[in-house]
Amino acid sequence: MQEKKGYVSFVLHAHLPFIHHPESDDYLEESWLYEAISETYIPLLTNFQKLVDEGVNFRITMSMTPPLLSMLDNKLLQRKYIRYLKQMIELSGKEIKRTAGDERLNQLAHYYYDRYSNDLHLFKDVYKCNLIQGFKHFQDIGVLEIITCGATHGYFPILYVNEKTVKAQIAVGVQTYERYFGRKPRGIWLPECGYVPEADKYLKEFGIDYIITESHGILYADPTPLYGTFAPIVSPEGVVAFGRDIESSRQVWSSIDGYPGDFNYREFYRDIGYDADYDYIKPYIAHNGVRVHTGIKYYRITGKTEFKDYYNLQWAKDSVERQAGHFFDSRNAQIENLAQYTENPPIILCPYDAELYGHWWYEGPYWLYILFKKIYYDDCNFELITPSEYIDKYPNMQVASPCRSSWGANGYSEVWLNPTNDYVHRHLHVAGDRMCELAHLYPNTKGLKEKALNQCARELLLAQSSDWLFIITNGTMVDYAKKRIKDHIGRFTKLYYQIKENNIDEEFLKDISKKDCVFPDIDYMIYY
Amino acid sequence: MPRKTKETNEITKVLTSTKTTDVAKKEAKKTTTKSITSATKKTTAKKDVVTNVKSATKKSSTAKSVAKKSSATTKKKTATKASTKKVPTKKKATTKKQKVDIVEYYDLPYRYNQTVVKVLAQTPTNLFIYWDISDKDREKYKEQFGENFFETTKPVLIIHNITMNYSFEVDINDFANSWYLHVNDAKCDYKIELGRRPIKQNPKIKTDYIYISTSNDIESPNDHILFNKEQKMVYFRNVKTGVQIEKPISANLSFIRNMGKIYNIYDIYKAIYQNENVEEIYDLSNPSSGNPSSGSLSSKLK
Repeated sequence: MQEKKGYVSFVLHAHLPFIHHPESDDYLEESWLYEAISETYIPLLTNFQKLVDEGVNFRITMSMTPPLLSMLDNKLLQRKYIRYLKQMIELSGKEIKRTAGDERLNQLAHYYYDRYSNDLHLFKDVYKCNLIQGFKHFQDIGVLEIITCGATHGYFPILYVNEKTVKAQIAVGVQTYERYFGRKPRGIWLPECGYVPEADKYLKEFGIDYIITESHGILYADPTPLYGTFAPIVSPEGVVAFGRDIESSRQVWSSIDGYPGDFNYREFYRDIGYDADYDYIKPYIAHNGVRVHTGIKYYRITGKTEFKDYYNLQWAKDSVERQAGHFFDSRNAQIENLAQYTENPPIILCPYDAELYGHWWYEGPYWLYILFKKIYYDDCNFELITPSEYIDKYPNMQVASPCRSSWGANGYSEVWLNPTNDYVHRHLHVAGDRMCELAHLYPNTKGLKEKALNQCARELLLAQSSDWLFIITNGTMVDYAKKRIKDHIGRFTKLYYQIKENNIDEEFLKDISKKDCVFPDIDYMIYY
Repeated sequence: MPRKTKETNEITKVLTSTKTTDVAKKEAKKTTTKSITSATKKTTAKKDVVTNVKSATKKSSTAKSVAKKSSATTKKKTATKASTKKVPTKKKATTKKQKVDIVEYYDLPYRYNQTVVKVLAQTPTNLFIYWDISDKDREKYKEQFGENFFETTKPVLIIHNITMNYSFEVDINDFANSWYLHVNDAKCDYKIELGRRPIKQNPKIKTDYIYISTSNDIESPNDHILFNKEQKMVYFRNVKTGVQIEKPISANLSFIRNMGKIYNIYDIYKAIYQNENVEEIYDLSNPSSGNPSSGSLSSKLK
């Protein structure tokens, strides 16, 4: 057996914006959650359980953001997810009949039928509709470390012109975590890895030990960290920062030879929502009749060609095993190389969007399972670790201020501040200032006014989601994102005036409190 | 490089043909909100929701290229013609027993009528500045310098680099309310001043500059490795005990010694992977290349 010379740390960032529309069934965006549950969250839980059952000792870290937790905990969305599954089971049942003449397709139709049926069984009977508890279980037995995030994924490098709004993002992120996991989080995933040193004092105030930054958050730190991203640094304020490893990120994401592009993997863009006969598929696509993805996909990537071959489950598994082997060998070589330079055993931090695993890269959760088994059983020079464990083992680290940075395109704020979305920021800033003004005008108030003030805080936080800005930049679902910004700023502003004029419209407050029912325990005094 | 106005982003006046504003008393430019209580609960007044349809492709399209570097990019805003591409509220009779009593319609306030200058760092060398002057302050200037104060002066932004102690000025115009500005120096503190300079004869203006307001301070991000060969000491802290020690950069800290000349990320990786063509392996010009936020997986799969 080789001596252990270093560590690899996987961090999956699980996040979706808060999408909850009790007023209508017409919002397609709600299905983001259902797709993510079926394709990412349940597969992750299933693979973690398999590893545990097989006695494989592994470590993984996940950030579960407050909006995601709130949605997973929401009874209406749980019911809607079950309805979604029943619809998918019905559709795949029809597919079994429709594809009866084609053995390979028919096999896949059966696969989807079984898979969605199994999801329904797991969700209802095993997890009792409570996936949060499912994840918490793995944290409690010590294989998973769950960390928190900003309350609504607000982007700190732009919000911080009013520091109280950053403080509130952190405070509510930590409170939400405690509500669901019964302890304080040790780490935080800074929304979009957006780092500003001004946030450090609030991170410390709420007991956060560590953050994750983009690679140059460490490499451009002041003074230059001796060991690059291969060792954490501690900021003068006392926040530990781990930086993303470039090489391992590259292997998963590369446009040339990134793992998810393997020709045997499932092709995301060929979906029966687009391919099937219109009248046949109509009940399963958008209410307004527009074709959308259903989740039933029969083809593999095949190659750089329009012609797509049928998906083959066994071939996909073969590719997973080959790629897990490649990743394993690469880390082994990387650590062999690095260990001679660093004082402590080097840490290779591999952060990804959780939804990459399963939703985008369908085979991703299985890849993690195979990789973790390999790391446990095969001879190698490294172990899996969580950032917390690394800090506890090697508490000596260099003092340096991380660089202001994000993991967005080009590494700074261009994704969230550019000509397509820059008009939003003045509204977010004014609403932030007004929220602080309200807290100072009416501190510790009770009754209806307190409810209105708390709802103001919710509306402000929801408006601040970096998702809306990202979507506008990205150019898909733009109308929805713009509407969300307008709705939350609109509701906030209306309440702001009602509170100041002592003329709160109770019906209105009740209505929006039902729609925007995130963070039931919020206390607006965080803005005081 | 002047940029064309994106009017659809500058949400201004609202089409109000079917709307009632319940906050009409507020200043004219405030949020226009709408609250209709439907008379019966069976007939639901439903807003025609503008939803794009490719729900599953939330992150699928290639991220659009964002603002390129330019030395003083202007953002014009013509105050009058607001092309609102909103779908007018449409009532739809439905027999569903949905209990939705309040139909809402909001638009962003046109302005907040406050004197403000705010600066944000878009990149290490591009700043974004937005500003406004309140009606009250406008009147104040007119009282002091005459009714034609705004016609006889032009707006300017003075950029103060506090770290390096220099300032420079750019002309802007009264049609703009925000600006992208290129600066040369990353990792510096900046502060922006909004002021006006006379362009026409005005007997009441005796100076060549009238101060209006100053922005918040920001530090622009760093954009390079700060390796300093003069650096003799580094500090290590035990985060459990808080004990901090000073260490000389000696042979023990061989990482740096082995590096030789280091100026950027390429050099670090060249040193580690001496036998490989680093440029081919890493697209280090974009430190975030290949993460889901920076581009789509779809473009990477194809």
